[in-house]
Amino acid sequence: MTLPAKLTEPTGSPSASVPGAGATAPAGPASPLRVLARVASTIWSNKKARIGVVLLSIFILMAIFAPLIAPYGASENGFGRNQGPSSAHWFGTTAAGEDVFSQVVFGARISVLVGFIAGFLSTLIAVVVGLSWGYIRGPLADVINFIVNLVLVIPGLPLMIVIAAYLQNGGMTMIIFVVVLTGWAYGARVLRSQTQSIRGRDFITAAQFSGDGAARIVFREILPNMTSLITGSFFGAATSAILAESGLSFLGIGDTTTVSWGSMLFWASNSNALLTGQWVLLFAPGLCIALLATSLTLINFGVDGLSNPRLREGSGR
Amino acid sequence: MSLLEVRDLSVVYEPRGAEPTYAVKNASFSLERGEFVGLVGESGSGKSTLGFAVTRLAKAPARISNGTILFDGRDIASMKEEELRTQRQGGFAMVLQSGMNALNPVRSIRKHFGDIFAAHGHVPKAKRVARAYELVEKVELPRTVLDRFPGELSGGMRQRVSIALALALEPQLMVFDEPTTALDVLVQHAVMGTIRDLQKSENFTALLISHDLGIVLESTSRVMVMSEGVIVEDGTSQQILQAPRHEYTQMLLSHYADPRAEVVEVPGLVVRGSTIETTGQSTVADAAPTALAGAAAPARRRAGRPEATAIVVDDVTKVYPAPRRGQPKVTAVDHVSFTLAQGQSMALVGASGSGKSTLAKLITGVERPTTGAIHFGDARVDTLRRKGLRELRREVQMVFQDPYSALNPLHTVEYALMRPVLNYTGLRGVAARTRVLELLDTVGLNPVEQFAAKLPHQLSGGQRQRVVIARALACDPQVIIADEPVSMLDVSLRAGVLALLDDLRVTFGVSMLYITHDLLSARLVTDQIMVLNQGRVVESGETAQVLRFPEDPYTMELLEAIPQPQRAGTGR
Amino acid sequence: MWYLLRKLGLLLLTAWAAITLNFLLPRLMPGTPADAAIAKLAQNGPVDPATRAAIEAQLGVPTGDAWSQYVQYLGNVLHLDFGVSYTFFPQSVSSLIMNALPWTLVMVGLVTIVAFILGTLLGVLAAWKRGTWLDTPPTLGGTFTSAFPYFWTALLLVFFLGYELKWFPTSGAYGRESTPTMSLAFISDAIGHAWLPAITILITSLGGWILGMRNNMINTLGDDYVTFAEANGLHSRTVAVKYAARNAILPNLTGFGLALGGVVGGSLLVEQVFNYPGVGYLLFNAVTNQDFPLMQALFLMITISVLLANFLVDILYGLLDPRTRR
Repeated sequence: MTLPAKLTEPTGSPSASVPGAGATAPAGPASPLRVLARVASTIWSNKKARIGVVLLSIFILMAIFAPLIAPYGASENGFGRNQGPSSAHWFGTTAAGEDVFSQVVFGARISVLVGFIAGFLSTLIAVVVGLSWGYIRGPLADVINFIVNLVLVIPGLPLMIVIAAYLQNGGMTMIIFVVVLTGWAYGARVLRSQTQSIRGRDFITAAQFSGDGAARIVFREILPNMTSLITGSFFGAATSAILAESGLSFLGIGDTTTVSWGSMLFWASNSNALLTGQWVLLFAPGLCIALLATSLTLINFGVDGLSNPRLREGSGR
Repeated sequence: MSLLEVRDLSVVYEPRGAEPTYAVKNASFSLERGEFVGLVGESGSGKSTLGFAVTRLAKAPARISNGTILFDGRDIASMKEEELRTQRQGGFAMVLQSGMNALNPVRSIRKHFGDIFAAHGHVPKAKRVARAYELVEKVELPRTVLDRFPGELSGGMRQRVSIALALALEPQLMVFDEPTTALDVLVQHAVMGTIRDLQKSENFTALLISHDLGIVLESTSRVMVMSEGVIVEDGTSQQILQAPRHEYTQMLLSHYADPRAEVVEVPGLVVRGSTIETTGQSTVADAAPTALAGAAAPARRRAGRPEATAIVVDDVTKVYPAPRRGQPKVTAVDHVSFTLAQGQSMALVGASGSGKSTLAKLITGVERPTTGAIHFGDARVDTLRRKGLRELRREVQMVFQDPYSALNPLHTVEYALMRPVLNYTGLRGVAARTRVLELLDTVGLNPVEQFAAKLPHQLSGGQRQRVVIARALACDPQVIIADEPVSMLDVSLRAGVLALLDDLRVTFGVSMLYITHDLLSARLVTDQIMVLNQGRVVESGETAQVLRFPEDPYTMELLEAIPQPQRAGTGR
Repeated sequence: MWYLLRKLGLLLLTAWAAITLNFLLPRLMPGTPADAAIAKLAQNGPVDPATRAAIEAQLGVPTGDAWSQYVQYLGNVLHLDFGVSYTFFPQSVSSLIMNALPWTLVMVGLVTIVAFILGTLLGVLAAWKRGTWLDTPPTLGGTFTSAFPYFWTALLLVFFLGYELKWFPTSGAYGRESTPTMSLAFISDAIGHAWLPAITILITSLGGWILGMRNNMINTLGDDYVTFAEANGLHSRTVAVKYAARNAILPNLTGFGLALGGVVGGSLLVEQVFNYPGVGYLLFNAVTNQDFPLMQALFLMITISVLLANFLVDILYGLLDPRTRR
């Protein structure tokens, strides 16, 4: 994760870039929209990231249109118990007589929602902490450093489990809360080191000389230069949020009546789906979690290439 | 038969998702045994790419698209990896531009030598240690350097180690790619001296790639000049110096002058004795300022602002804590006193580490002195808080060294210039925009509307530096601190920017503190000079006087280190 | 030496912060878990005042000022005195943890080290042979498997390799008829039971190490010292191992330290699936039974273990990077 944001090459070093290649970027003002468009097009140009985007879109569509796609309701339980796959129930039924396929479809809602909300909140904290931590100097920076390192080394899942145990049945809000509480630190660290490197550049000193205040410098000069890292942090945080949510739900922490891929596996393993041989019931929810998380990681391959040209495809030896 | 014969060599860059570009186009040349040849060009001319190609080090996205490279009669352009590897011993070696980073940080120097001997087996095991000692001594390093790690060595020492490592191959051809560019002036001079001596004593063929025609002419017997991927001129150093045929070579040459001369002239600037004139003639690509005559008189603009004020530096010392435990503290500035009077132009010169940049930080309030005081009018700069600093910066502005780093790549020129206008002048809306366009006109970036909308990457280095200067002028300051404003620019662009700075200073009555290691530019744009060595002022006075008749040995050393094309072929 | 002292100081400081966090957590939470706990304990028989006071001190019932509680708590922690478990009354929390800890340390510890070394090697190969069959399958495969939830991998292995193929035992750390002794029979029985959880952790964590090392290695391959080594005609294996990989391993070690917490968390889930009698299984039992003293002490022990592992990684880093010796 070392990210030397070499924005320019003072003297042409042939191994790094074509002299003057920077001048081929699109013209026009640097509105946030344009920056995002650049991010999107770079991501799309990476084959792996493109697969990720397609996969993610499928899951998002599945979550949005769940009631249209699923043949039954998520908790509709009037069907035969522990049935194998059939034409009426593609993935079979659960021990409580619910339709597995419908549950898988509805489960996408929880994972996508938790992923996006927790990912967004973690990234928000990471941005605020990372940028101010990178910009300030002195003892306060050391204190933040210590706190971030503490949050980083404390094993996240046990902490979440303990907090969740104290909070008792807080449901999805509680899960998002604990996931965010432990998930922001990594992004903050990455963003901080990049902030420090940008802070050392002359245009920051120049902005100070132009009379700009600290807040404006952080948000107008530094922040826009970190779009790719922030995007990366978001997908990273969302991935771990999705995995953490599934883990907590699998342990039965939180609201077990909510239909999520994690809680499906909780019920499956508690009702001994292993013994009844319902491998689809075991296989499908976990595969969905894995595919959703993979899609985000794949997108991050493209995002990595944004800030580190060496990681771009085709720049191999 | 020539040692190296290159025929119709082309190198193409094929980055993913971008158009392929030819960095080298059908280059043909040959190197005779024992020859010392220079390859000169500005950034982007393809000279380094050519160097990497002839040593077969070009990596993707660069690719040799056609041509042959006959080394000792064998074509290495299409040679297989393993055969190529064995050819390197007793064949061709390369010393990289960034010698600082050319050594493995976790491996001792001794092991670096060991790896080379092990790879080729050309030195019997029993003699390897002795050979390594011999090699480091050849590059004027002590034997103890073998037990050090790269991080423990200075930049100059590291570059010497890489030269010794390349020599360990006992090559017939050595390619030096900007071997001294990243080094300090004095170190640069010493390392170049070592390279010249080695070339004579070891009698290898050498190709010296550099952007600095001065350095090249001083060392080599033959020079090739490259521009836009094409070798435009190839002749003896004497020919190049006395009768350059290609206009590009002529232009490069015109930017060299001896700061010790009575009359110093580069395109756009002439100084005689201590008086400065601008010739007003346009310099190469960047248009010279045209609107200066019509610019508003400084008196009108200063209405309601503090009267002319001097900066007084009074016995200032700055001590930094030790970089590592167990080392002494660093005294960056040591009891320095001087006064920069209104309208004056003063040079602050010295090698890196002389404390000149630290002084700039102290004067602008970025850092505070350990002892001593800095006065700007009634204000004590060294005690200013946030609000006071803001007021100070309205009067004291900076021009930065690296124009690529001084502009935020995501903001337009208009945004960059609008910030100080809005923050300091009180102008709003149309008036503010008018002021921005006026500034662009002042620094000669016409048509102003077009330049205002551009992003930094759409500008050349010289144009960027003009924007940086315009930004510094936006709040109509009294003092400009220029920190090596042209050292990152190509030679051809330097004079234009210097002429602009000088014009503006005179027109607006701004005083300037010009920080540099480059004595020629100091001679061109300043009338007073201070020479700093290890934080102390060793010599000061009128620029022309000090440079023409230096008294301090350090000043003489700095002057001696300036590459002089005139020495071409004298084989110093 | 200075580096080592600094890291040691940091370890102690972080450990203190973790202990303090553990003290504060129950006190920051709504309600008083102590009441619930005492009520739960009362089901096993009458609660004597000493036990009640001990529980209240641990769980933050405001007896006395917070400061003296804190001091008492610190003293207890130093003596590894975490009180009595409710679930396994009257066993002490310390003895429960001491029984569980070795299983987790040996199984999870060994697998993590193996996974790290194997992943690092595969990452080096992938970057060195970028774009070939040594790169694409491990990279894409690693991306996919590292997205597997630990417990899901565990469930699938139990189902296919345990129930369907019956290759491995699916539950516990040793057979019902074995008793924990240092006999050869017992050890081989334990190893047989450790296979499935170990494979689970290996599959799920390997990808992360591969990807991390591959990225680092791609970065160092672009560094000047690699180009210079090639210019000097060193054997390509020397360049790959002693130049590129040797430097790429350094940030990977830092990454290892940071990712350790995640792997340990994942292993807890794995223990839960396999009923493996380590700290994860115990923690889960503590949570479902609201056994707060056990839960808190377990969390502390897990955290301290990860901190110690991080410290060892730091020492290793110091040995590998000459720049820390200055």
